[in-house]
Amino acid sequence: MAEAAIQATGVHKRFGATAALAGLDLEVRTGEIYGLLGPNGSGKTTLIRCLAGLLRADSGSLLVFGRGPRETVAAGRVGYMTQAAALYGDLSVAENLAFFARLQGVADADARIDEALATVDLLDRKRSTVSALSGGMRTRVSLAAALLHRPDLLLLDEPTVGVDPVQRQEFWAHFRALASRGVTILVSSHVMDEAGRCDRLGLIRAGRLLASGTAAELTRRAGAADLEAAFLALAGAGA
Amino acid sequence: MSLRRIAAVARRIALGFRRDHRSLGLLFVAPLVVMSLVGAVWGATTQTVPEVTIATDRLGLPAPIAGRVVEGFVRSSAVRATAATYEEGMRGLRDGTTDGVVWLEGATVHVQIEGSDPLRSGSIGGAVTKALGEALATAGITGGAVPAVKIDQLYGGPDYTLLDYLAPVLVAFFAFFFIFLLSAVSFLRERTSGTLERLMATPLRRSELVLGYLAGFSVFALLQAVVIITFTFFVLKVQYRGSLATIFLVEAVMVVGAVSLGLLVSAAARNELQAVQFVPVVLLPQVFLSGLLVPVEQLPDYLRPVSLFLPLTYANEALKEVMIKGAGLGDALVIRDLGVLVLFGLVMAGGAVLSIRREVA
Repeated sequence: MAEAAIQATGVHKRFGATAALAGLDLEVRTGEIYGLLGPNGSGKTTLIRCLAGLLRADSGSLLVFGRGPRETVAAGRVGYMTQAAALYGDLSVAENLAFFARLQGVADADARIDEALATVDLLDRKRSTVSALSGGMRTRVSLAAALLHRPDLLLLDEPTVGVDPVQRQEFWAHFRALASRGVTILVSSHVMDEAGRCDRLGLIRAGRLLASGTAAELTRRAGAADLEAAFLALAGAGA
Repeated sequence: MSLRRIAAVARRIALGFRRDHRSLGLLFVAPLVVMSLVGAVWGATTQTVPEVTIATDRLGLPAPIAGRVVEGFVRSSAVRATAATYEEGMRGLRDGTTDGVVWLEGATVHVQIEGSDPLRSGSIGGAVTKALGEALATAGITGGAVPAVKIDQLYGGPDYTLLDYLAPVLVAFFAFFFIFLLSAVSFLRERTSGTLERLMATPLRRSELVLGYLAGFSVFALLQAVVIITFTFFVLKVQYRGSLATIFLVEAVMVVGAVSLGLLVSAAARNELQAVQFVPVVLLPQVFLSGLLVPVEQLPDYLRPVSLFLPLTYANEALKEVMIKGAGLGDALVIRDLGVLVLFGLVMAGGAVLSIRREVA
């Protein structure tokens, strides 16, 4: 069995009266694409922000490659792609990427920027100002920014929101290619056809993991016809 | 702490400025437009009734005549006169309790004024001449030549306009105002656009981010200070006595503090409009209480303590000392004011670092 990239045990995180994570257990293996499925407000983003070192869990244990999230982030092993593109609209694509490369301490920045832009098929827009790009292109630049330092773990928070089906197809081809190189990918989504592309899935509701397994396993376990029906059945049972 | 990462943040800001023409306009053009307006409006002196002290021990007149002269001054509506000794008068002049000390020397009437506030001292000469005529009439001295009036100033001079006296506080205020607004809105954009979240998910530390912001904005703030100072002295031809380097130093320390304050304030705002709403909150007290419109020592007792907590109070005081009175870095008051401004910048920068911690993790 492969080493765990992410190991969460009994993780709690509250925001005032709201329990965003309520004893979440999760294991993501190295080199797999793990999909986090759940309705809005189920705790997907909170978990990803904890893993990115942006939030500290109130209790429980959360390890990324065997260390605390912030430590792993500081070591440059984590790439994080936020829901919004989160780029500087007044800078060019290359300037945005050069900035993030400097923060990550990337040595051969120019070559890496070209490499990351080639990955997302945007080499020809290198000099474009980000504010002049379409939403889908910005999302691709955002992914490139998360790839610059060749992270071992990619955290993708609903990466294909606002991306058209053709581009979504291409995105998943990129994710698959990265995973084949050993990159672990944790991706949150509520799009079911995307979920089917993940190696394994975790169903989250009310800050708890309801079920985990491959799409086929989850469908079978729920006795459902497809993943969507399985998700609704499992989510309903867990409510 | 990595200089490379700090420099990366600073460079990112400079690159952003390059295409942000509105912000550049706000930074460099707006202060000049406002200063020009103020120069046009306040460049001329205004009339007020001055308070003068008649130095009874230096009138050189027989007692009965001297008494009538003093009485004539006191009854004149041109001045508000009080009788005292020359020494008491000079003390009052330095304390700011009187605008002028009047005494006689032969056939010349001497008027000694402090000179740093043209609103009160500008019309003294005319007022004293007018009062003198009335005083002489009261004393029954008529027919002879009216004595010449000679005005001596501790600071400033007859060729100083109102703008010359107000320039120190205006230079401080406009530099503070524009860079504060710009840094607050810019850092807010970092929060609202999601880039702050992305930055915090890199090895970048909060303190590095704040220092990078301070460095990036301070470059533009210092350029702005140079532009404002150059325009004020060489285009508006405002007179100054102290060294330009000292004036710039005070400006520099103050604007870095203004950037820090902007970063801190942006933590409390959710959008640009809210950040702009902080302008009256942060700046209006400073307009009224920092010596900008009214000298701090003339503020009501209950408001004067507030001025102690306003950075512009210290910037105004230091710049007035340097520009009007010719003080330098050897003067304790200037050093104290600079020290307070440095402390202010450090506290605000520390607050900005903590404000990121609270929001993100």
